[in-house]
Amino acid sequence: MAVWRAKSDSFSALAQAPQSVDRDGRSAPEQAAKVAIIMALVELITPEQAPLLAKAYFADGDPGPITAALAQVPELLEVALPFIGAVLSPSSIDWRTKEMVILRTSAILACRYCVDSHTPVALDSGLTHEEVRALREIPAQDERAVSAFADGRERALMSWIDAVALGPGPVAPSAAIAIKQHYANHEVVELTLLIATTLLLNRFATALQLPVHPSTIERLVVEGFADETR
Amino acid sequence: MSTETREAVEQGVLGERVWFYANYHCNLECSYCLTESGPNVARRLLDADWMVARAQEAKELGFRTLGVTGGEPFMVSSMPDTVARLSGVLPTVVLSNATLFTGPRLERVTEALAGKDVHIQISLDAPDAQANDSKRGDDNWQEVADAIPRLISRGLRIRLATTTEAIAEGDLERLCALHREWGIADEDHVVRPVVSRGRAALDGIGVEAGLHDLSPELCITADGAFWSAFGPTVRNGRVDTDFLITRTTAPLSVPAHAMLRVAQARPRGNDATLGIR
Repeated sequence: MAVWRAKSDSFSALAQAPQSVDRDGRSAPEQAAKVAIIMALVELITPEQAPLLAKAYFADGDPGPITAALAQVPELLEVALPFIGAVLSPSSIDWRTKEMVILRTSAILACRYCVDSHTPVALDSGLTHEEVRALREIPAQDERAVSAFADGRERALMSWIDAVALGPGPVAPSAAIAIKQHYANHEVVELTLLIATTLLLNRFATALQLPVHPSTIERLVVEGFADETR
Repeated sequence: MSTETREAVEQGVLGERVWFYANYHCNLECSYCLTESGPNVARRLLDADWMVARAQEAKELGFRTLGVTGGEPFMVSSMPDTVARLSGVLPTVVLSNATLFTGPRLERVTEALAGKDVHIQISLDAPDAQANDSKRGDDNWQEVADAIPRLISRGLRIRLATTTEAIAEGDLERLCALHREWGIADEDHVVRPVVSRGRAALDGIGVEAGLHDLSPELCITADGAFWSAFGPTVRNGRVDTDFLITRTTAPLSVPAHAMLRVAQARPRGNDATLGIR
């Protein structure tokens, strides 16, 4: 068990997406910082202990708990992170859409780490507080979540995310028909892979009890998504 | 793929030896021990058949020699036979403190290893008991001094390893005179610095050793594959990962090729400077 003060802890940071959380010049509330020191299930590798194949990922210091956990098995890290990066980083799918997928999927899977880490990123991608709240808080397959989005494409996407992420078994035909009406084949593939990759990370982060960085908690407090006693 | 590693060994990009950390426990508790070994530590054993299988793979990959270390390998009762089997695959050196070579264990070691392509590399750090025993434990010097002639007389091939922060020229000369008297040639005497890892680091002694200071020898342990036998050290009970290559150790080609990638990424001409081996 390791005490960990996570730093760069959003998937987008892994993917080298636009840096969305401004950590400079912000002092996390002491209370938030204290509660954010969480015991991860496994020891998180420090920059000083970074294995040889993983050192590049620690070159700028603490790379965040997903990388620090994966570094326990460097031969998996060096294939997993490029894959995750490729799926999550900027592509033909715009940033806002990707954050919708990541945040909604993570909320359905009840991944505290992923939901908290991606809430600031989602806001920075252009999603409104109301949209983020709908993504985070309205249960899967609840029509109110879909209704929170005005655009037809995004409504179809919401149905698709809920249907794919919720599982098990076949995806609802109505969701499949809707996504095909609004997205090209390559976009459906990419969005679905993004949901699947987020599911992987959701369970990874939840099972290993990865901690959220204090600066992220501070941002959540500022944005009204957490209170200071958290 | 074996051609690639074979060529790397031939060119010196990879060291010719594959090391096995057979176990981590030891009957001694030396003050500078890299692995914090002692009688009560986690044993982290490698299975004998498993090591022989990896040795076969090492040969196929182009490695030329094997090393067995610990802990004290001969704490494992089956170690003489294991080393004999390994030496049937590739020439083998086994590191030992030599303090267990008495009675039935001496007989087993002699029976298994005499005449085999095996060197037993024995640690002795000073020409005098006081200087040696302050680091390696009471009576260690005398036990080693008694054991070496006994082993040599039984046809076992012995090397000597001296690990020291600093040794006066006169002391080194006396130590060398001693090993020559025992019949150990100069080329079979290794003098190396204390490396600041494990117990030595906790005591604030030894030299800092980086990637370029340690020979690119693949080292296999129960915790994974590491760069150099100086890589899989233990500090405060946990295994260091800064020289970890892969957790995968079988087949051996996985860590071998991963290590080759690390070795090839090193700047050319940036050779080891500390001569640690």
